[in-house]
Amino acid sequence: MPKRTLDPLPSAAFQILLALVGEDLHGYAIMRQVAEQTGNRIRLGPGTLYSSIRSLLENGLIEELDSQEDAGSDDERRRYYRLSSAGRKLARAEAQRLAEVLRVARAKKILRGRYV
Amino acid sequence: MSEKLYAWLLRLYPSRFREDYGEEALRLFRDRARDERGFFPRLRLWLDLFFDFTISLPSEYFHVPAPRVAPLVPRRLHGFPALFVLEDASPRPGALAIGGLLSLVALSSCWASLSSVRGRETPSASQFAGVPDGYKSSHSESRPAAPSVAASDGNRAPTQPGWLDPAQRKRIVDNAITNLKEHYFDRDAAQKMADALAAHEKRGDYDTVADPAAFAALMTQQMREVTPDRHLTFDYFQEPLPPQPSAQTAAVSPQYREAMKQQNCTFEKVELLPRNIGYFKLNSFPDPEVCRVAAMAAMTYFNHADAVIFDLRDNRGGSPEMVQLIGAYLFDHPEYWYNPRENTTEQSWTRSPVPGSELADKPVFVLTSARTTSAAEQFSYDLKMLRRATLVGETTAGAAHSGVFHRLDDHFGMGIPEVKAINPYSANDWAEVGVEPDVIVKSADALDAVVKLARSKLQKK
Repeated sequence: MPKRTLDPLPSAAFQILLALVGEDLHGYAIMRQVAEQTGNRIRLGPGTLYSSIRSLLENGLIEELDSQEDAGSDDERRRYYRLSSAGRKLARAEAQRLAEVLRVARAKKILRGRYV
Repeated sequence: MSEKLYAWLLRLYPSRFREDYGEEALRLFRDRARDERGFFPRLRLWLDLFFDFTISLPSEYFHVPAPRVAPLVPRRLHGFPALFVLEDASPRPGALAIGGLLSLVALSSCWASLSSVRGRETPSASQFAGVPDGYKSSHSESRPAAPSVAASDGNRAPTQPGWLDPAQRKRIVDNAITNLKEHYFDRDAAQKMADALAAHEKRGDYDTVADPAAFAALMTQQMREVTPDRHLTFDYFQEPLPPQPSAQTAAVSPQYREAMKQQNCTFEKVELLPRNIGYFKLNSFPDPEVCRVAAMAAMTYFNHADAVIFDLRDNRGGSPEMVQLIGAYLFDHPEYWYNPRENTTEQSWTRSPVPGSELADKPVFVLTSARTTSAAEQFSYDLKMLRRATLVGETTAGAAHSGVFHRLDDHFGMGIPEVKAINPYSANDWAEVGVEPDVIVKSADALDAVVKLARSKLQKK
């Protein structure tokens, strides 16, 4: 039985789900959005980005939209992705899990000084 | 320069990844290269790519495509135990041993039960015209033609019930020779085969072959050594054949009708894929007398699709009438439809346009494999020759002529092609060589490839 690649949810996949909250994006826009939301800490390379996208698609967490014209790119058609309701639920569940981890970390006072 | 280098590096990824996302990955590189100019940004880009390769390359090679099942969310509910044993933990050696043992027992019992009901399998669509439905034959395709395997001393009395004695073999060979000379469409080839069989008989080549199935296999092989025609068969039937070849006079048998009902006319999948692409997986071309309505319903279902994929990878043939019935939906005017079973007649033209059909100008794709046989090859071949479909997959089996069934005695019969139809497209059809696809990919990868192809074709429209 193949191991599910998204269980536990890898960080890159979670960031992609978060990037897609609120808007449909193509690959490069996802990469930029992830860089922005992580303070440039995570810059997804093409291999990681598209293998994550494929896993998310296979698990029904995102959907590929019918092609859209991208006005700025001389007739190139890009593939756009949208968060599915299952993806939204999973992102929420993952965020809650991290919040729980954070709560424990705070309780153990390992954060030292800075309030996170 | 750097784009070329990256394109070259991309080739390190498995072909599946490149097919799906190679273009996108290259575009992403191009975008970043455009936006990140200067020494340090460019250095960072290449460092990123280096780390990306080290992480994603191994994982791509270990990636197992997940089945499209219900989404895996959200299972992290408070208070529920996490049962991940089946997915995350490796099985213990003991469990493997018990599993292996149980599989062995299950396989043995399957084998035993299959052996006990031999000769009573579910009837399937006949591969040559006139074969009695419900009778399971055994010839070279299902059994190797190795006389030594089934050898017994044929000069003695048969050692098992049903085994052949020399007199029986001589009678059957003579009967086969008569039928060949009388019915095979190529008289010269028929004479050569007859001579060869007579020579084998005279030399005593059949003396050691008492097993009737092995005898049938050997006869088929020897005929084909002279004329490589895969619809020319010599068949043994364990169950006694009816006195007259039923299918030549009667229509379809009740067994066939019932089997088609049970198997949904062998239409395994009739569905719409994303982007409005119709997907029709049919594992035979069933007799229209039984399955006309099902076929029409399937084609009507696809009426508003933007493209249609016919998956014939597991299609072992069937009725040319059904081939033509389905093909008719794909044209807006009658088209000549080559059928190796028949000479050209008025029936050789498709009944196009089909009233209400909107499929005549939609892209059509056909998936083929080495298992795609007979009528399925006719469908593929004609659509290819008419430039109406793009074939994707493997070269087909190469079974073209269609034999008419001739009963020799209670247990033996022959499939003998009686006509060689005129082929308007080329001197050779797919006999023995198969139909070559336009896009050659492994059968297992053909569906992914064709979906991608269909999408890109639809985008260009």
